[in-house]
Amino acid sequence: MFSSPNRVIVVLGALTLTLAWVLDFGVIQPNRIVAGTGYGLGEALGLVASVTFSVGMVMILGLGAVASRFRYSLLTAGLLLLLLVLPWGLALFAERQLPGSSTYARTAMGAGFWCLLFLPALMLGECLQRLRAGRGLALILLALVLTSWTLAVTSGDIDSLSILKEYAARPDQFRAALSDHLALALSAVAISLVLAFVLALMMVRRVSWRRPVFGVVSFLQTVPSLALFGLLIAPLSALSATFPLLQQLGIQGIGWAPALLALIAYSLLPMVRNTFVALTDVPPTLLEAGEGMGMNARQLFFRVKLPLAMPVILEGIRVTIIQAIGLTAVAALIGAGGFGTFIFQGLGQAAMDLVLLGALPTVLLALVADAVLSALASTMRSAP
Amino acid sequence: MIELKGVSRRFGEVLAVNAISLVVETGEVCVLVGSSGCGKSTTLRMINRLLPSTAGEILVDGKNVCDTDLQTLRLNMGYVIQGTGLFPHWTVARNIGLVPGLLKWPEARIRERVDELLQLLGLDQEGFVDKYPHQLSGGQAQRVGVARALAADPNILLMDEPFGALDAITRETLQNEMLRIKQQLGKTTVFVTHDIDEALRLADRIAVMDQGRLIQYDAPEAILRRPASLFVETLVGSQDRGLKMTGLQRVGDAMQRHLHPRPRDLDKPGVREHETLRQALSLMLWQGTESLPVMDEDGAEIGIISRAQIWAGGH
Amino acid sequence: MAIWRAPLTWLVILLASAGLMPDLMPVLFPGQASLVYQRDSFLWLLQHHVMLVAASASVGTLLAIAGGIMVTRPWGRDFLPLVSQIASIGQTVPPVAVLALAVPVLGFGDGPTVMALLLYGLLPVLRNTLAGLDSIPAAVTEAARGMGMSSAQVLIKTELPLAGRVILAGIRTSVTINIATAAIGSTIGARTLGDPVIAGLVNGNTAYVLEGAVLIGLLAITTDSLFEALERFWARRFSATPGTV
Ligand SMILES: Nc1ncnc2c1ncn2[C@@H]1O[C@H](COP(=O)(O)OP(=O)(O)O)[C@@H](O)[C@H]1O
Ligand SMILES: [Mg+2]
Repeated sequence: MFSSPNRVIVVLGALTLTLAWVLDFGVIQPNRIVAGTGYGLGEALGLVASVTFSVGMVMILGLGAVASRFRYSLLTAGLLLLLLVLPWGLALFAERQLPGSSTYARTAMGAGFWCLLFLPALMLGECLQRLRAGRGLALILLALVLTSWTLAVTSGDIDSLSILKEYAARPDQFRAALSDHLALALSAVAISLVLAFVLALMMVRRVSWRRPVFGVVSFLQTVPSLALFGLLIAPLSALSATFPLLQQLGIQGIGWAPALLALIAYSLLPMVRNTFVALTDVPPTLLEAGEGMGMNARQLFFRVKLPLAMPVILEGIRVTIIQAIGLTAVAALIGAGGFGTFIFQGLGQAAMDLVLLGALPTVLLALVADAVLSALASTMRSAP
Repeated sequence: MIELKGVSRRFGEVLAVNAISLVVETGEVCVLVGSSGCGKSTTLRMINRLLPSTAGEILVDGKNVCDTDLQTLRLNMGYVIQGTGLFPHWTVARNIGLVPGLLKWPEARIRERVDELLQLLGLDQEGFVDKYPHQLSGGQAQRVGVARALAADPNILLMDEPFGALDAITRETLQNEMLRIKQQLGKTTVFVTHDIDEALRLADRIAVMDQGRLIQYDAPEAILRRPASLFVETLVGSQDRGLKMTGLQRVGDAMQRHLHPRPRDLDKPGVREHETLRQALSLMLWQGTESLPVMDEDGAEIGIISRAQIWAGGH
Repeated sequence: MAIWRAPLTWLVILLASAGLMPDLMPVLFPGQASLVYQRDSFLWLLQHHVMLVAASASVGTLLAIAGGIMVTRPWGRDFLPLVSQIASIGQTVPPVAVLALAVPVLGFGDGPTVMALLLYGLLPVLRNTLAGLDSIPAAVTEAARGMGMSSAQVLIKTELPLAGRVILAGIRTSVTINIATAAIGSTIGARTLGDPVIAGLVNGNTAYVLEGAVLIGLLAITTDSLFEALERFWARRFSATPGTV
């Protein structure tokens, strides 16, 4: 393995280098709505920085192509460095190209910038896999990169960045969106976890429950989100009109109530499926052994079945949370709040930066949830 | 003491166990043997009430198992099954400490007991207690299974084909281990196997089963000498019955003992006192001799075994 | 033929609802004004919705299967870890975010929607293709090769039929997601059954919302029952226990 060239690194490296030069690194916009002018790598960063980057990238390409004992360690270091300095590239771009005169002018990340983020990140993943590095190293590298990006954001050097300008215009709304988004998604997942657990237990005990329950939850999963949200509006407004108490609780045709209901409905399938499979997949010999040694049903459930089922249940929670975070964004259409509000407002006003302010945090939330729950599940699996 | 009186078990149309009566004396090892599906496991599982019996009664130390509290009954019976049934999410220590834990022994005493058992089973290596079942070899895992069954010092040991999934060499080592434990602890044991050689090696009494019925219940030697039916005769293998017989007897019981131990003649191959006549015979055949010196544990020659004596023992 | 009865029934219900909706609504809710969405006919929206999904799904499926095959061949195996990583990380990105992010890059309208659907719909198919090809016991392909089949024959005659059910399940997931995402595509200017819903939400017209929602739901159910039937058909055709190739 070590003696042959790594084609993945070579291909991705070449792609990075090409796209970085062909696509715009950054964009300067005169104001919020008007499309801006793009700047290529050379113009954006100047000769010194862009040549340094290119030489570095060629070296990475070369390391991928030749056999060397430490190449994956070296590659990891090089790619990490690139990801660390990337946000400061934006600062450099702003300093060089942003006209000082206009307070409305703003910088935006170009397609080339995104390529410089994603392709090296993929290469880094490949290197870590080749090094057979554990989750620990990956998390440390991630923490380093996040620290550098946070520093760049808080330094004030890239305040001209469009998405940060959008944020600066509504920090309170942003915080409210974050808490709404999390509250809605997490409470839906928590409620569906309890429901699914009860359902799964009933299905384990009664065979006759299995088909109908699976039938209903799979059906719910098939209904498109927009349709389900829409279908809930009429009955809920009718209910709330009939019972004033519901209205006082804030339950109406639009808002958090239909959103929560729909999210719970969607969460049931992955949760029920995983919990049921996990609980029924425990090898019967283990249960027999435990029972034969004198464990009672309670002990058997809490000490054997549940711990053995836990990784699969966690996997169900992971899938459900990711799905709920995405669907919560859609729920903004029926007035449930969250990051979707920015997305749809932005789309309505053709303000792309506002769309980004909604979409990027949504993606980030999903990725973080994925990382955290995967890590949790894998620690549970390796040291049960 | 375990007594089965006319015990039967029916699964729908199938009569898996048909009116079995037998007595296992305290400290004895009873081996249930028979082909797959003949009802051995079902019989065993009725003793610790994993299955209720449909007819007859089972007494443990004179008390009907159905009158004993289920938990109490099982906690007093070690249970070992094929493929170990070790909990994959628990360490060796926790697996072995399962029953003491259920009995609410103090932590320190459990730890002590675990160490003691690991020593008994030759598993007392550094760090072994913290391993997980998937890190063990088949033989090690099965030993841990046995240790777990012995943990709370139960009066009775129930074993269902515990060595069935092991390779021949490991199985033999574990059988020897069983013999040693039997001598050391003297547990009343019901052991299920489909391997007649394993049964002959380990049993004080063998219960031969066929299609749910008990065909013969006797000492190994009697099973070999006087098979009750054609089925038993085929099971023990009428062809090499004689050889199997020699496998049941110890050299020490058949040899001619010297008055005083003598220093050993190192050039001459010999056998040890506790080895079987079968092993002595094999060595004689190989060496082409008529007799062999017998050594004690220290290597001193304490007697001599001759072909004639094996012949006498084999009948 | 019995397996096609359910999807056909749903199809009839879907078409009838789309066609009769304008006449039906005033009967169900008499005496209310502006009850029926007028900008486009429901049938046209339905047809356009289906077309967007079909275009993106067919191209995406072809690309995904081709990619999945490529990275499982000896000469492409280097890329397998990378591609499966992309497939699994990509699926954690919410579809609505993909849709939203398509706009700054590609603009508004049908085209960007199809592009987003294509990219996102590719992932489940890719993942299942990899899983399906990976789950075939090595003994099967080895035996096929040992009997003198060429690599292409092994692929077409053993690997794809055996992996087919899993791949089909991936396509089903992908299409289900895409029907839902296409409906949201209305917010970025695609013309779909999401239009009445969005228009209804913006104007506070519950009737519009209901009309759109019912039709979207029926479309999803029809498609799902079609895939259900397809999966049964496939299972009957290749009762795929390994070894009975
Ligand atoms: N839980 C059960 N349900 C139905 N039939 C069973 C069950 N357990 C065992 N049997 C049947 O009882 C017979 C004896 O089984 P078992 O005691 O397991 O045999 P052995 O252990 O001797 O191989 C077999 O015919 C088996 O099919
Ligand atoms: Mg058995």
